Amino acid sequence: MHLDDRLFSEKKFYLPLLAAVLILPWLPMGIAGPYVLRVATLTLVYMVLALGLNVVPGFTGLLDLGYVGFFGLGAYTAGLLTVHYQWSIWLVLPLAALNGALWGVLRGAPTLRLSDDYFAIVTFGFSELIILVIRNELWLTKGPMGVPGIARPDFFGHVLNQPWQNFYLILFLLLVVLWVVLRIRSSRLGRAWFAVREDEIAAECVGVNVANYKIIAFALSAAIGALAGAFYARWFRFIHPDMFKFWESILILCLIVLGGMGSVTGALLGALILIPLTEVLRIVLPAELSNARYLLFGLLIVCMMRWRPAGLLPVQKE
Amino acid sequence: MLTAILEHSSLFLQQLVNGITLGSIYALIAVGYTMVYGVIQLINFAHGEIYMLGAFISFSLLTGLFGVGLPFWLAVLVAVLVCALAGVLLDIVAYRPLRRAPRLAALITAIGMSIFLQNLALLIWGAQIKSFPRNLIPAFFNEPALQFGDVVVSWLQVIILLTAIFLMLALQLIVHYTRLGRAMRAIAQDKTAASLMGVNVDRVVSYTFALGSGLGGVAGILVALYYNAVYPTMGYFAGIKAFAAAVLGGIGSIPGAILGGGILGLAEVFGGGYISSSYSDGIAYAVMILVILVKPNGLFGRQLRDKA
Repeated sequence: MHLDDRLFSEKKFYLPLLAAVLILPWLPMGIAGPYVLRVATLTLVYMVLALGLNVVPGFTGLLDLGYVGFFGLGAYTAGLLTVHYQWSIWLVLPLAALNGALWGVLRGAPTLRLSDDYFAIVTFGFSELIILVIRNELWLTKGPMGVPGIARPDFFGHVLNQPWQNFYLILFLLLVVLWVVLRIRSSRLGRAWFAVREDEIAAECVGVNVANYKIIAFALSAAIGALAGAFYARWFRFIHPDMFKFWESILILCLIVLGGMGSVTGALLGALILIPLTEVLRIVLPAELSNARYLLFGLLIVCMMRWRPAGLLPVQKE
Repeated sequence: MLTAILEHSSLFLQQLVNGITLGSIYALIAVGYTMVYGVIQLINFAHGEIYMLGAFISFSLLTGLFGVGLPFWLAVLVAVLVCALAGVLLDIVAYRPLRRAPRLAALITAIGMSIFLQNLALLIWGAQIKSFPRNLIPAFFNEPALQFGDVVVSWLQVIILLTAIFLMLALQLIVHYTRLGRAMRAIAQDKTAASLMGVNVDRVVSYTFALGSGLGGVAGILVALYYNAVYPTMGYFAGIKAFAAAVLGGIGSIPGAILGGGILGLAEVFGGGYISSSYSDGIAYAVMILVILVKPNGLFGRQLRDKA
């Protein structure tokens, strides 16, 4: 049985993992503490993103090259709602996810008939357009000035100022997303997606409504991306169009390529390895080298495709 | 009133000249995408990086960055040859092992190579924009070749246009009247049948990469001279626009790529000049998406292979 199926159903898997994550903020780390916690929080954000992206290329087999568009969309939805209306994060999160889902459907609906590489190009162009709009519509987004001073997340009127509080918040969101993704994966919906991934025409022939199921995948994936963006905006308190460049899409893609496309635990593992590594490289390498750290990601993608296309935790073919 | 119209029309004409220049460069790059797609059905994302490499290598050879300073024309020639070789290597190292793998794997590899090469350039040459020293390039480039009233066509623009036309004609001759061209067309139609007829598929694909990458390198050098700027991400933007041009013309079709490049160059210059300069990059994305959604075969393209 694949690790994905055992992750939530067997205590020996999820209890030690959960315990390790829960006590992380309380480990004695001295002055490194706040930094370690920041990296850990960022890693969890990327885990959410990896789980969300995984829904489209991993479950339905369509390559999405513009996932950062939804991340940015969610971040700006949340950031602007917070700055203008001071709404609670518990209102902003669902609204951002909803907005993401809406655009996921709008982007996805016209692409249903496209072959795989054209789909990839459309996703890429679409996300570049989203970022271009964010950059240029100054009246709405302040463009290249960015949106500073976004309020921190809140919980029943309390502002979550402490790093550990934000860490637990994203951990909670991650667990919710993980639960949703794992449940769907083993449901009728999930099986329909796998059928589409393996052979779209055959799936259509046995009565799978391919169009509907694809649209649901697009909506879910985009909603998760926007959710991560919404948390990110409230946590980081500043958003800027440059944070949502094409590279980010590739980085997220890299996470699931490393872990294994379609593998839920693989997506988590990919983020767990690569995000802290990125942060370490940023510190260890001198500035001119660390600017080129994406070189490693490019190389990693190429090598994985060459020698281990199914990733570290491959999904077994049923 | 009359002067206003004259002024307006001279602006229009100047934009037209600039647009045609830009368009011929896009066409040179777009042909590389289209040729590779034609023979192995792969969107070679790293093609923009080959173009960037052309600019950097000619710059380095010219300024003696690698220890040897070459005269201008020799530097250009060597840079184009290096680009052609880089294209062949790219195919052999990255794409050839994946010929029988799922198409998604090759596409992801192409993206990986693009990121890799771009950051390699960043590592070697740094992020700063470099410009050609004036004394090392022929002086007449920026002098006006033709002048009608306020409309100026520089020698460089003339050279860009003539180079593009010459290379496109040469390419058409190669594709239609040589053994290599026939082999390329045969592979594009049916790879298996072509190899059964004795076509050495790997070698022809290598030549295709060499031709496309050489043209990309030429385009890179011309652009670097035209804007007098060389930087690692230059291939990214030009690559997207040229790819949009290839899609617009119908991917796989060489005349389509030329026409698409021309249209896109004009659209970008006029869109930037008359509609909104901040969205001039967006025109390429919008054209690309609209063509794919509405008329995926483009203006001249043949029927795309359906979902396998």
